[in-house]
Amino acid sequence: MFTNLEKCPRNLLVCEKSSFLNEKSRHDIHVAKHFFNYKVSILIPECGIIPSFLSSVVNGFSKYYLVRDLPLHKLLEDEFLEKVVKTGSLYALSYKTRIDQDNTFAILPTGQVILSVDKDTYEELGLEGKASQYNHRQPMRYVVTIDMTDKSLAPGGKRYKRVMWALKEKVQLTSDFLLARYSIGGDEEGLLQSCLSQYSCKELRPSVSTQTLRDLLCPSLDPADLRRDARSHDPQQFLEWLGTVTMDMSSNNEATSFVSTYCCPEPQSSMSQALVYTVTGLLLPEDIHSLLKELRRYFDEPRFTSWLSMTVHGFADSPISWGSTEHGFHKGGENFYTFVIFKNQDYWLHMATGANDGCPP
Amino acid sequence: MGEHASYERLVFKNASVYHYMKIDLILESEDKRLNAAHFKQLIISALRDLYGEIGAAFPFDVLKFEEDTLTAVLRVYNSGLVKLWSALTLLGSYHSEPCAVRVTQVSPFLLALSGNSRELELD
Amino acid sequence: MVRFKSRYLLCELCVSDQSSLQLLDDRAVFTGVRGAVCRAHGDYGAALCSVSFAVKYLNADTGVVFLRCRKSHYRILWSALPFITHLENRGQKVPCAFNCLYVGGTIRTCQKFLIRYNIQQLHRMLPHCHNEAERLEVRRAVLNCSLKSLEKEEEEDE
Repeated sequence: MFTNLEKCPRNLLVCEKSSFLNEKSRHDIHVAKHFFNYKVSILIPECGIIPSFLSSVVNGFSKYYLVRDLPLHKLLEDEFLEKVVKTGSLYALSYKTRIDQDNTFAILPTGQVILSVDKDTYEELGLEGKASQYNHRQPMRYVVTIDMTDKSLAPGGKRYKRVMWALKEKVQLTSDFLLARYSIGGDEEGLLQSCLSQYSCKELRPSVSTQTLRDLLCPSLDPADLRRDARSHDPQQFLEWLGTVTMDMSSNNEATSFVSTYCCPEPQSSMSQALVYTVTGLLLPEDIHSLLKELRRYFDEPRFTSWLSMTVHGFADSPISWGSTEHGFHKGGENFYTFVIFKNQDYWLHMATGANDGCPP
Repeated sequence: MGEHASYERLVFKNASVYHYMKIDLILESEDKRLNAAHFKQLIISALRDLYGEIGAAFPFDVLKFEEDTLTAVLRVYNSGLVKLWSALTLLGSYHSEPCAVRVTQVSPFLLALSGNSRELELD
Repeated sequence: MVRFKSRYLLCELCVSDQSSLQLLDDRAVFTGVRGAVCRAHGDYGAALCSVSFAVKYLNADTGVVFLRCRKSHYRILWSALPFITHLENRGQKVPCAFNCLYVGGTIRTCQKFLIRYNIQQLHRMLPHCHNEAERLEVRRAVLNCSLKSLEKEEEEDE
């Protein structure tokens, strides 16, 4: 009756099927390009105890730092750039800033600095930028991208001075930051801390939680059949089921039930137990890549299950999702991907985004 | 290389027929208890107030309801999302006692509700 | 020129006892219809529908009602009408049903339709007359209420 009430924002789901052994497989690129990861949850069917490799990999995850009231220009100073940004990959994301209302900043490991600012700040700042793609009629949000690796932005140069002047004297952009740095050697443990010693800096480790589920229904998966046209359930239904499992919901309701009619998609089989292992924090793509590598080796030994899954959630308030595609919040800001890893090294990759986001690569 | 699965890519736009909502019910007095069925009935009556019997005639599911924290996860067809959301917003009383519903997260993917980065507390 | 576009719903009130129509007035129809819209479509629907909603015309003899509402939302009104089972006026219940005959954009088109409809009804009902006397009675009644006879009467009065 009220047709104008029946519309809702678009969402995108990209599904890929390939094999890790395929030479052209792009799984590592997809992982590496999703810069800001908030949570990883791993589901291993028919598994009661945490495999030892899992905890050792997660223990090796990079530490990250929460720095309070850090002025943005500090991160672009000559010394900091030389010592930290250019020698390894630095990930920085402003903490507790909401992309749909606050100014949000991010530094990508590629050396790009992204400032997503509201109209007033943008006009005061006087730096060159673009209107956000997801503005409504009147542009109220602008995105400024500064590429620190660009030659014309070399410290001491005219453009560099202008950027510093804008960030230091025009508008002092300050925020709490989550910082993490990945370097191959991993030798400079206290480097970030020593560089930012005059600010309150807290070292954090990714937090881990585990959960064992018992007696659940699970859809039967066939690695060759991503599209599922032959059978009845499609990728959406599988992702929905995965959601019900990670959130511990009942998936065996009667069709006549008043409260919920959700049912596990057919064809289904039963599972005696499953392990859900979650890691939360600012997680680096490099670490997730090594985790993925270890998960692939899970099937080196004979196992009861033929598949396992890994879901990686991105930060809803980061100004980018994959690569440098602009990301907005709109209703949920979701951007996540799920790997389903099969025994024979085939995999499915589902990448999902909400309304204010480009198509995943 | 024939034995490995061949590469295949599918793009779905608006393929999800459902939206999922994570909501909190806030009651004024702490001692009131209600179960999932009461909770759903409360939402249905709110819908009926705002959109009448014809407007409220659409299905939705309470996938999860925690009685101690009064948080719930709802599943609704895309066409009913706006109606359900607005009815929840205007829901103001339970058994003639003031109450409110806070919508924490809305997403077309249920999986996204399990990882809300806005809940990250580091202090 | 831009104007507000309205829809006029030409409805017929069906009652079992024709005389009970005399009990009704505009206000009773107005509140009855609004109540039905509120029940069927809630506060939201009632609010949308109440913009420029009016009972333009009620004929207590024939039970013809004109309802007006905004063009964009007339479906709300339209779909609520079948749910009306009775109207109330000063504590008296009149069991009735709404039969929507025509939906038009202006009162004029509705009136044209109503004339056509009444002629059709007349043609349908005339064969039911048992004898010539009844037929003549109908004929006289029709002529009586035509404008021409009114003018004649006025002339005679002068």
